[in-house]
Amino acid sequence: MSREFVAIAIMGIDQHENGAIAIARVLQEAQMKVAYFGKFQTPASVAERAIGEDADVVGISCHSWEYMTLVPALIDELRRRGSDIPVVIGGSVITPQDDEKMRQAGVAAVFATSMDGEKVIESVRELSAQRRRARSLSA
Amino acid sequence: MTMKTRSGLPLQRAYGTPGGAGETPGEFPFTRGRLSNPHTQAAWIQRELSGEGDGRRSNEQIRYLLEHGQTGIDVIGDAPTQSLLDPDHPLAREAVGTQGVSLCRKQDFLDLFAGVPFDKVSISNSAPSFVSLSGIVLAARHAGFPLDKLRGSVLLGPLYTEDCSYAWHLPVELRVRLALDCIEYCSRHMPKFHAYVEDTYFFSEAGLSPLEEMALGFVQMRHLTRKLMARGVDIDSFAPRIAMLVNCSMDFFEEIAKIRATRRLFAKMMRDEFGAKNPRSMSVAITSHTSGLSLTAQQPVNNIVRGAIQALSLVLGGVQALEISAFDEAYRTPSKDAHIVGLRTQQIIDLESGVAKVLDPLGGSYFVERLTDEMEAGIRARIDEVEALGDPETLVDTGYFRKIFHHAMEDSHLSVEKGKTSLVGVNVHAMAQEDDTLLRDVASSKIETWHGHTEEIIRFKRERNIARCCAELDNVARAVKGSDNLVVAVIEALDGAATIGEIVTSMRRALGMPGDIFDHPLPQANAGDRHVA
Repeated sequence: MSREFVAIAIMGIDQHENGAIAIARVLQEAQMKVAYFGKFQTPASVAERAIGEDADVVGISCHSWEYMTLVPALIDELRRRGSDIPVVIGGSVITPQDDEKMRQAGVAAVFATSMDGEKVIESVRELSAQRRRARSLSA
Repeated sequence: MTMKTRSGLPLQRAYGTPGGAGETPGEFPFTRGRLSNPHTQAAWIQRELSGEGDGRRSNEQIRYLLEHGQTGIDVIGDAPTQSLLDPDHPLAREAVGTQGVSLCRKQDFLDLFAGVPFDKVSISNSAPSFVSLSGIVLAARHAGFPLDKLRGSVLLGPLYTEDCSYAWHLPVELRVRLALDCIEYCSRHMPKFHAYVEDTYFFSEAGLSPLEEMALGFVQMRHLTRKLMARGVDIDSFAPRIAMLVNCSMDFFEEIAKIRATRRLFAKMMRDEFGAKNPRSMSVAITSHTSGLSLTAQQPVNNIVRGAIQALSLVLGGVQALEISAFDEAYRTPSKDAHIVGLRTQQIIDLESGVAKVLDPLGGSYFVERLTDEMEAGIRARIDEVEALGDPETLVDTGYFRKIFHHAMEDSHLSVEKGKTSLVGVNVHAMAQEDDTLLRDVASSKIETWHGHTEEIIRFKRERNIARCCAELDNVARAVKGSDNLVVAVIEALDGAATIGEIVTSMRRALGMPGDIFDHPLPQANAGDRHVA
């Protein structure tokens, strides 16, 4: 199986990049392929590029509450374009209540206050394996 | 009144080596403390960062803090304000008022500073410098307060703004020009105002070491100083108003050494390299904000302890003003409770601990003096190394600094993840989430998006005098193409009902750039376009 490919992005005008850049490095060190899309992304720009480059997982770094509307919008955008790419989110501003709301909105995994690298790696591996299995079944 | 210890032993304001050899506080090279101001006896300016919602809401916060003993003000703009976007921009709407105050037009500043005693408190601004400066000028004018008596500061970081923290989407040449124009404007009209605060806080939050923080700060400060001198501005006309806003993280003694080494380096640089004659030009005011990056979302109560330790090292280092990053920092801009905790921490250090009675109490310590010397040499060597690479503005464009910040962001996280740096509650002594409840409800309470303010801005844009607004925006564009002071044009445009988003759009267009860098169709006619209506 080829390496997992993860797209990392920050949406809206949230400009706290430390978390996104750090997790990108953590995933790279775990031998994954990572594309950091950078700041100032929109649901449409992330969906378009993630689909175009065939990412296995999209990770959104959240350090501003805008994510509460932008992340569900991203999931809608992906599904509307017929993509099943799972979306995971991380960031210290995510409260347990909002964690629940995001899962209901279709977020596949939430890494809130504790960014434990091992957990993120494990989860991303699992999600991309699931997606690849589902794809090979439907192919 | 003579000072005494609790046992009645007499205390002097400063101590030195027998016979008076060695350095003295308040004397060149100012390692041991700034030139003392005979008019102020206060320990240091005590303030906490504030700002949320609209100008009216933030004005309530300011009044609350002043009522509880705050002696200065520092207001931060929300993410749209920091990004130079109006609240009605499609990318800004969800972020209005949630991480600071929304400021895009004159009325916002009038609301923000309503009733603030300009004669009693200094007003610092953690928002784009030309925006804050213009706003405060209009607020003072409105209140009938003379500009030449206004005290306060704006932050300048034109080289690094795009590479970490809040990007302005303006080319480096224009950012530098705006910084220089702010300084020149103030040296002419606002002699008591610090228009030149070298802000090393915001870019060092990428995770830079204290040594790297100061080196990059000096690189920027030296660049701006050379440019101002090249304009023919006399060094002694602006150097006395230079201040630095530094970070303070958890390496207690290194932070103290950093402050002492910075004062010494600055003094030597101003006298020996830039030819300053006035001792005030050689004695830099240092203010500080404790590191938000050092705080954790886990066990937020621990952040109170971190803030106290950091504030203590700053006081021992001898700062002129300080702010403690609040315990809810990982979640939000400070809540009312977090404000009080920060303020009370400062007041306890000041009024109860006695550490501020004696100037530079660690001066003469074998360890601290050695660390100060090594820090000075290290910063100096790093400045030389960066400057040898060429013009800093070119280095910005080639991504040299961006790479430094990028690596710092990676390394600061990995060092915690791999256990090289201990972070209590995170990689040591962690607690199960269900047990981690102390103050968590306070820390994670949210600030709702201020949609009402956005509606108000939309109404304002519809009802204002469009002809005057467009004329002022044209004037901004002309100023960008010419060489007049841009800050003057910005002040008049704001006064003429233009908004910051529109003013910046005009600037970009004058430079031949797209007005809206996000490539989004703007609502109604393009905000900032000359066809505003």
